Amino acid sequence: MGTGSRTALATARTSRQILFGPITNNRRLVASGTPLIVLWQMCEALVPVMIGVTIDVGIETGELGPFLLSCLGIVVIFTFLSYGYRFGATFMNRAVQLESHRIRLEIAEKAVQPADDPKLAGEWLSLATSDADKVSLLVRQFGFTVASLVTVTATAIYLARTDMTLALVILFGLPVTVGITQLVSPVVARRTDREQSAIARVAGLGGDLVAGLRPLKGIGAEDAASRRYRGASQAAQASSIVTARSWGYMSGLTTLVSGLFLAVVAWLAGSKAIEGDLTLGELVAIVGLTQFLAEPISMLGALSAQFAASTASARRLHTALATPVRVRGGPDRLPPDTPRELRLDGVTTTALHGVDLRCGPGQLVAVACDSPDSADSLVALLDGSAVPISGTVSLAGVDLQTLASVDRRATLLVVPHEANPPEGTIRSAIDPDAVLDAATLDEVLTASAAHDVVAAHHDGLDHAVRSGGSSLSGGQRQRLTIARSLAVSPPVLVLRDPTTAIDAVTEQQIARGLQGRLGRGTATLVVTTSPTLLAAADHVVWIRSGRVTRVASHHVLQEDPTYREEVLR
Amino acid sequence: MSAPGPARELLPVATGRATTRLLARRFRRRPGAVSLAVTAFLLTGAAGIVAPRALGEIVDLVQTGGDSGDLTLPVLAIAIAAVVGALAASVAVGALAQATIPVLAELREDVLDRSLHLDSGQLEKAGTGDVMARVGDDVRTVTDSLDEAVPVLLTSLMAIVFTAGGLFALDWRLGLAGALAVPGYVTALRWYLPRSGPVYRAERVAQGERAEALMSTLEHAPTIRAFGREEPALGEIDRTSVNARELALRTFWVLMRYGARMNRAEAIGVVIILTAGFVLVRGDVVTVGAATAAALYFHRLFNPIGGVLFVFDDVQSAGASLTRLAGVALLPEQDDRVGTLDGPARLELRGIGHAWEPGTPVLHEVDLVVEPGERVAVVGASGAGKSTVAAIAAGLTSPTSGRTFLAGHDVDDLGAATVRRHVAVVSQEVHVFTGTVRDNLSLADTQADDDALLAALEVVGARRWVAALPEGLDTRVGSFGHALTSAQAQQLALARVALLDPPFVVLDEATAEAGSSGARDLEVAASEIVRGRTALVVAHRLTQAQSADRVVVMDHGRIVELGTHDELVAAGGQYATLWHAWSGS
Repeated sequence: MGTGSRTALATARTSRQILFGPITNNRRLVASGTPLIVLWQMCEALVPVMIGVTIDVGIETGELGPFLLSCLGIVVIFTFLSYGYRFGATFMNRAVQLESHRIRLEIAEKAVQPADDPKLAGEWLSLATSDADKVSLLVRQFGFTVASLVTVTATAIYLARTDMTLALVILFGLPVTVGITQLVSPVVARRTDREQSAIARVAGLGGDLVAGLRPLKGIGAEDAASRRYRGASQAAQASSIVTARSWGYMSGLTTLVSGLFLAVVAWLAGSKAIEGDLTLGELVAIVGLTQFLAEPISMLGALSAQFAASTASARRLHTALATPVRVRGGPDRLPPDTPRELRLDGVTTTALHGVDLRCGPGQLVAVACDSPDSADSLVALLDGSAVPISGTVSLAGVDLQTLASVDRRATLLVVPHEANPPEGTIRSAIDPDAVLDAATLDEVLTASAAHDVVAAHHDGLDHAVRSGGSSLSGGQRQRLTIARSLAVSPPVLVLRDPTTAIDAVTEQQIARGLQGRLGRGTATLVVTTSPTLLAAADHVVWIRSGRVTRVASHHVLQEDPTYREEVLR
Repeated sequence: MSAPGPARELLPVATGRATTRLLARRFRRRPGAVSLAVTAFLLTGAAGIVAPRALGEIVDLVQTGGDSGDLTLPVLAIAIAAVVGALAASVAVGALAQATIPVLAELREDVLDRSLHLDSGQLEKAGTGDVMARVGDDVRTVTDSLDEAVPVLLTSLMAIVFTAGGLFALDWRLGLAGALAVPGYVTALRWYLPRSGPVYRAERVAQGERAEALMSTLEHAPTIRAFGREEPALGEIDRTSVNARELALRTFWVLMRYGARMNRAEAIGVVIILTAGFVLVRGDVVTVGAATAAALYFHRLFNPIGGVLFVFDDVQSAGASLTRLAGVALLPEQDDRVGTLDGPARLELRGIGHAWEPGTPVLHEVDLVVEPGERVAVVGASGAGKSTVAAIAAGLTSPTSGRTFLAGHDVDDLGAATVRRHVAVVSQEVHVFTGTVRDNLSLADTQADDDALLAALEVVGARRWVAALPEGLDTRVGSFGHALTSAQAQQLALARVALLDPPFVVLDEATAEAGSSGARDLEVAASEIVRGRTALVVAHRLTQAQSADRVVVMDHGRIVELGTHDELVAAGGQYATLWHAWSGS
């Protein structure tokens, strides 16, 4: 299905535009945030230098004036550091949040449109959350990269001016030490991934067993289920311990490498200071800077990995956003005074052959198909997700392919079999815009036999309905969907197997309800094999192997044993 | 069917004391790992304070005009401390995991076990949502905190304690000066804690709403399109996403203000330490090296203190989750001994009345006997009480009045496990368990071999399509797996009954969710399953009634007609009217 329909390529942003969108769309925030982040990191580097200066000019000399002045310097540095980060990070974070919201909506808009290549809801969800977030984080990566580069450069200049040998040792040695610790990080990351998926499996299994608790209890399988969970939990436990060990080794390695490097720097700087090449303060500053510099350097390493993740997310987003969307409808408007009759003339698809069908105002027509494929194809033609290979589907004489979508929406309601109530209340599931008066609502509830769905809950119409009606039984869901369809009261209503989860007695009430509403002039087409609904129809179009075999009332068709076999089961 | 009930009675939450006792008992079983972890963490702390002290020594050497050769000792000390600290750190995290992870695993296993064994009444009262939250969110919160927050907390605490000790070891007055920095941090924490809980909670709720809005739109896009509700659906996503965004910004701002308060405490602390050093050096009480070491000690503490203060609320919420887990884990274990049921498999309902909520009875004086091997169908409008009768007959619900007998034994005298072994229930609630087809089936009989599984599939007519799956019995189904139709899912449920092979079967509209295709296969499967068993079948289609041995018609909680199909059609009552309308005859 879906083949042959017209598609259009939306002008989607390129993956590069998506990747850098967080910066280009938030220029002002990025432009004011980045310098503040740079200021913060520079001040962080200045703290050990300033401690050194204080020791040099104050503590060692014992002079109060310079001591107080350098203390004042420390306070000033802390002030800039604190405000720089506070506002810089806030601006950047605002840009991140604005951008990820923007992408989220872009994805959601795309996801509700019909597509030839439908994705699973889960894929859309991860695009709209995790990928949107990863791309947006580029703003922060940008800010921190700039800040780290500037700080490392400034420190390099300071060190070079203080002592060339030390500067070279530190500036080449530090990346090496950071590099050594990063060598093992892929192993740790792999183990962490494995652990997290083991834990996710345990959580998933637990949730799954609880979700299936009633069916489990039905066969007394609680112990079997508990044992199964125990097995998964033990596996995750083993994986967690292995991962923790590797984290331990990594932190041990970091401690070892950075400690030994500090020993080397202390020895070099100490010797120079003893020889008088360095002041005491410079000695303290250099040792402090060595410890501080490890941060921006390892941050630069981590940032490149994050950038790779953002790029991959941007690519995924681009692919999803550039998927062609099926465009329904054309320029033709419905003629104002023509009866809203639905017609199929000689329609052929992969599952239908030369089907003629008509359903006019005030008629209740049932279509009984021997195979679900024929029924699927018929519904797809009517909801616009497929077009016939030959023949025409028309509404009031206008071909559905060229009918303006505004008229289609206002006239034709095609309810899919798997239609489910939205999240809200029973009332909002039936009448989302709250336009029905009490009498009309009552009428709709009666016609759809939904009064006892309301009565089954102590809070009645205000009873909360979870998304997809998952808090209701299948029969209750179907009755709410029928009620909602009747509440819309479209000129042409198409229902596909609307009562499969409803018991025979209640189905009978619904059949009567549908008949009772024909006086309003609604053209109602029901695709079904339920004898109760078939019996209620003015006539039944019986389709076998994709061809119309006979058009007659259920009562008449009953005499055909094949028909009986197909519908009375 | 959901029982209507306004009052939720959540599962128990343990007190802090009971939780601690439970955990202590379990930790005591692992003395080796616990003491190894403690020792290793102590060593990391001790090793950490060597370097600043040694640097202080170097400063003194420089100041007193020492010789390059004298550097060997302090430099060696730094190197040795690095090696010892590295070894300790390598062991510490693993040992901690070895001590704590098994305790957590045992706890989550017990929680799930007790949750699965909750009786139906408790379950209805608590709601699956609460059980889900314990098994899912609470377990995750504790696991995450064990993985991240707890190691950070321990390492940082060790660093803080030892550095404080190091300061005092330099000179008690320097130690006191360090202690003067504490109030600044305490003030920051006391500002933050009352604010963080509510803002994080609000943010999490908003994120949940956003995910819910996204998911319900994405999952139900066809319905949304059919009814032309795209605009409101997107509007809801926009609203929840904006709300989540604003709350995220607010949370971040609170965090930034907290950070600023910590910076303030740091600045005050550094100045106090330096001032103390200045005064003490001037008074010749300590050396310049000691003052330097003190300043370096304090500078080195910035990260650990930040670490402790930032994981503080993680640890707090993990504690709350622990009490919720302990509450369930401490529920008594269920008696799962399975007894035998001798005697002919007769099902008797005697004078059954039931009210889910006091004052609103849904069943009145229901008397029904299903003879061994007989199939009785129950027919009635929704709300007539069919499902309630089914739940009571299956021993899942205790009726408000009246008694149920299985093979002559009062259900109340039989243990739950015994009842469940002998009465299988399949309702319209379809669930495919995540895992393989084999996993789905073996829940009923963990010992069953492939032949037994295939035989059970054969009975319900599912053998062919299972064989056609990409990996047969080993094909993964359920979420993320091969998608099964509702009819196929329910065939698996019926195959489980075949494996269990119980003398009694209750089918509660088991074939209702089959949808438009596959309904017929499912009907056949259902009638195969009840063959030769004492069966109560809540009928969804009248063919099920027609093929039953006897039919019960229910109306408003009472049995109004009872007899064979032919008798009832001949009698011309409610059933006859239904049958004529349905069969068109």
